[in-house]
Amino acid sequence: MARPKTVRAPTTASLPNNLRIPSSTPSLTKSLGKLSRQALLDLALTWLDDHNITSFPPYLQADEADSPDNDEALPYPAGETIEEVRRVYEDMQDRKGAKREVLERILEGDWRHGITLRQLAMADLRYMDDHPASLRWTALELSPVGENCKNSKRLPSDDWSSSVPRMQAATFVQGLQREISPLVKAHYHLAHSATLPLTFLRIFVVDSPYQSPKQTVEIFTDSSRVIYIAFPDSCPYVYTSIAASTGPKSAPLTSSVATDTRTLQRLVRDSIPKALSRPQQRFSLQATSLAAKNLPTLLALRGPGRSTASNGAFSIFADAAIEGSPLDPRPSNTVSSEEHIQASYCGPAEGKESTNGSAIKRRSGVSDTGPLSSGSKKRRLAIQSRFGTLESSLAPAPLDRLDIRLLDKPGFSGEDDGDFHDSTSTLPAVSLTFSGSDVIGGIRKLAELGIVNPERMPSWMTGEEGISVATVRRGQRLQRDM
Amino acid sequence: MATIASRALESPDPEEEELDTEITSIRAEIQNLQKRKRILTSSLLTTDPIQKLLRKQPKPQSTTTNPTDPLTTISPLVHAAGAHTSSNHHRIAFGATAFPFKDPSPTAPTTPLLGVRIDVCARNGRFAKPYYILLQSERSRAPNAGSGSTKLLKVYRHTVPAFISIAKLENAYLPRPSAKRDNANEDGDEDFSAEDEAEPAKPWKSGNRTQKQDLRGFVRELRRELVAWHMRVNAVEFLREKLGFVSEGGGSFPFDVSPDRDTGIVSLAAVSLETRYVRVEWVDGRVGRFKLSNVGVVERAVVIGDEGRDKKLEDAMTGDGGRVETVLDRLRVDVLFRSQQP
Repeated sequence: MARPKTVRAPTTASLPNNLRIPSSTPSLTKSLGKLSRQALLDLALTWLDDHNITSFPPYLQADEADSPDNDEALPYPAGETIEEVRRVYEDMQDRKGAKREVLERILEGDWRHGITLRQLAMADLRYMDDHPASLRWTALELSPVGENCKNSKRLPSDDWSSSVPRMQAATFVQGLQREISPLVKAHYHLAHSATLPLTFLRIFVVDSPYQSPKQTVEIFTDSSRVIYIAFPDSCPYVYTSIAASTGPKSAPLTSSVATDTRTLQRLVRDSIPKALSRPQQRFSLQATSLAAKNLPTLLALRGPGRSTASNGAFSIFADAAIEGSPLDPRPSNTVSSEEHIQASYCGPAEGKESTNGSAIKRRSGVSDTGPLSSGSKKRRLAIQSRFGTLESSLAPAPLDRLDIRLLDKPGFSGEDDGDFHDSTSTLPAVSLTFSGSDVIGGIRKLAELGIVNPERMPSWMTGEEGISVATVRRGQRLQRDM
Repeated sequence: MATIASRALESPDPEEEELDTEITSIRAEIQNLQKRKRILTSSLLTTDPIQKLLRKQPKPQSTTTNPTDPLTTISPLVHAAGAHTSSNHHRIAFGATAFPFKDPSPTAPTTPLLGVRIDVCARNGRFAKPYYILLQSERSRAPNAGSGSTKLLKVYRHTVPAFISIAKLENAYLPRPSAKRDNANEDGDEDFSAEDEAEPAKPWKSGNRTQKQDLRGFVRELRRELVAWHMRVNAVEFLREKLGFVSEGGGSFPFDVSPDRDTGIVSLAAVSLETRYVRVEWVDGRVGRFKLSNVGVVERAVVIGDEGRDKKLEDAMTGDGGRVETVLDRLRVDVLFRSQQP
C-alpha cells in the first residue's frame, strides 16, 4: 500500500488505529501465526462484524478497480460484498483444515491491503487470552500519595471502599497520552479480557514524532516495543508486562537513550500513576514483590478476591474450608473441608470464585487415602495445616520463580539442604532461587515425600506471603526490603 | 487387528454403557441421601426438645456409667450439637464472632491470633461465605496513656475483598503509635494537622490523642461495608430478575435477551465486582450509568443518547427518594410519558 504523500510534521497525536502494516511483512505472518486456527477465524469474523466493518474493511472488488497494479496472479479473488467474505470464514469454521489456510486467506486475500495496528493489537490480546502464561507479569499496587490520612479522616464514615481509583478507560488513555506524547509516539488498544476479570491496555511505542513513522515496517511487530498493562476489576493493583526496574539501573546503553525500548517502557510505566491521578487524589505505583508468568496467579494473589491476603496456612479461611454456613446444623468438624468449600453459598462470593477457577478445582486429589502409618498421617496433617487448601497439584496460583534472600547466618535454619542450590559467598547472606512450573506446589510435594519437614519450615515456603521476591530474617519476611 | 481393537475401545457395548450410567446415577443418589440423612440427624439432635430431654435424663445415671447405655454414648454428640447451634445462633444474630487461631508457622509468635468471623446474609436467605479477619496482638512498649504496656492489635490476614480498604479502616480504628512514628516523615505531620481541624463528632476522633484502639468500631464498620456491598449486589440481581435477564438456573442467558417491554432496557449490569456503578442500555441505543450508595439509593445517574444527555431519564432515576428497588417503576415508558403530558 503506497502511503499518501502528505506533509510530514511532528504531532503529539497517538498512532492512528487505521495505520496499515503491509500484509507482505514477514514478521506479520509470524505474529499472526502464533494464533490457533480457531482464534484466527474468530478474529476475522469479529473484524467483519457489523460494528467493526468500518474500522477493518476487507479488500473488495470495488477496491480492485481503484488500485491500478492489481495482478490476477493472487490466489484469492476479492469478494464482491462483505456478506460474501463473511460466508467464506463461516464456511472455514464449519470444516476442518489447516491454520495456514486461514492465515493466507487473511493476509493475501481479504486484507491484502494491510493489517491495521488495531487489528494487530486485537490479535495479540486474543493470543493473551488463549495463553495466559505467555508473558511475565509484575504486580504493582496503586497507593494514594500524601493525602491518604487526611482524606480518610475527612470522608464520611461510609466511604471505606474508595481506595480503588475509578477508572474510565478512555479518560485514562487520554491522560496517559498527555503524559507520554512529548516523549514517545504510541498506539493504544484497550479491551476487556474475554476469560479473566481484567482490562488490558496494549501500548505500542515508537520514538518517532511523526504520524506515520518512516521506520521499517518490521518495527510494528517488534514485541519489545509492546507494553501490556492489565487492570484487574475492583482492586487497587495494576499488572504490567514491564520487567521490574529495580536491577538494571546500572549502565544505560550507549546508544541514543531515547530510542532504547527500555527507556520507552520506563517512560510509560512512570506515567501510569500520573494518568490515574487527578487533582486532590494522587497515586503512586508501588512494587508488591510479586512477579509471575501466569495471570490467574496474579489475580489470586493480588486480585479482588478473598485469597489476596490469606494464603498458605490461611487459605482455609479464603476457601471457607473449616466452618460452614450458620444455617448448617452439622457440627463443622464432622464435615469434610471439600464439602465446606463446595457448600452452596450464594451471593457475590460465588461469582468471584468461578472467575478464579472453580473452588472445587483448587482442591485436588491430595487425599489419596491409603493405609497410612501414624507417622505419615501426622505429616499429612501437618502439611495440610501449613499449606492449607491451596497449592495442591492443580493449584490455580503457580509461582514460576521464588527468590529468597536469607539474612541469617548459614546454619541458622535446618532446611538449607534439599534439592535447591544455594550460592553462598563470603557474605553471610544466602540467596535461594526456586524455579519451575509451580514452586510452592513443588515444596508441598517435597514435604509430602518427607524431604522437607512441614512443621519446621518457615512460612515463606508455604506461599503464605504471596510473594515471589523476599528478604527473610529468622523466618520472617522483612517488609521494608520490598 | 489394531483397527478392530481400537474400534472396540471406542464403542463399548451400549448395554454396558447404559449400566454404567445407571450405576453412577444410583451412586450419586446414595450420596445425596446419605448427606440428607446426616443433615436430618444433626438437625434432630439440635432441636430444643431433644436437647432438653437428653441432657436432663442422664445426669443422675452418669455416675454409674453404663457403657451399653445409649444415652451415655450419645451424650458427646449431643453436647457438640448443642455447642454448634449456640455458636450458629451467635453467628446469625450478631453477624460477627471471634475465635482464637494458632498460626502453624514455627516462627510465629506464641500468642494465638484473634480471629473475627463476619457472616452476611444474602437476599435469598442464604449466607455468603464468611469473611475472616485475623488480628495479631503485640505489646506496645511505648509508655502511652500511662497504662504501661498495652495490647495492640494489628490486622495480619484477612479475606475481605480488595476494594474495601482494610488499611484505611485500620488507620482509623486500630491506630498504632509505633507505626505512626515510623512513617512520620511521610504523613505524620499532615495527620496531626488533620486532627486539629477535625470536628469532634466523628466517633473515632474522641480520644484520638491517646490513640485508643477500637476493635468493636473496626468490626462494625467493616461489617457495614461488607453488608452494603452484598446489598448492592443483591439489588442489581433483583433488578435483573425483574427485567427477566436471569434464567431459571440463576445464570444469565447465553443469547441476547429481548428488551423489557415497559422500560425498553436491554441490559443492566454492574460495571465491576464492587457494584458501585451500574450500566444500563436501552433498546434505542441510549446508555446510562448510575451510582449506588451504601444505603441503596441511586446517588447519581447519567444517560446519554444520540442527542446528548437525557435529563428526564436521569431525573427519573435519582428522583422520588431514589430507591434502587423501584428504579424500574420510575423508568417505565408510560410513567415517563404521563409525567411529560401535564
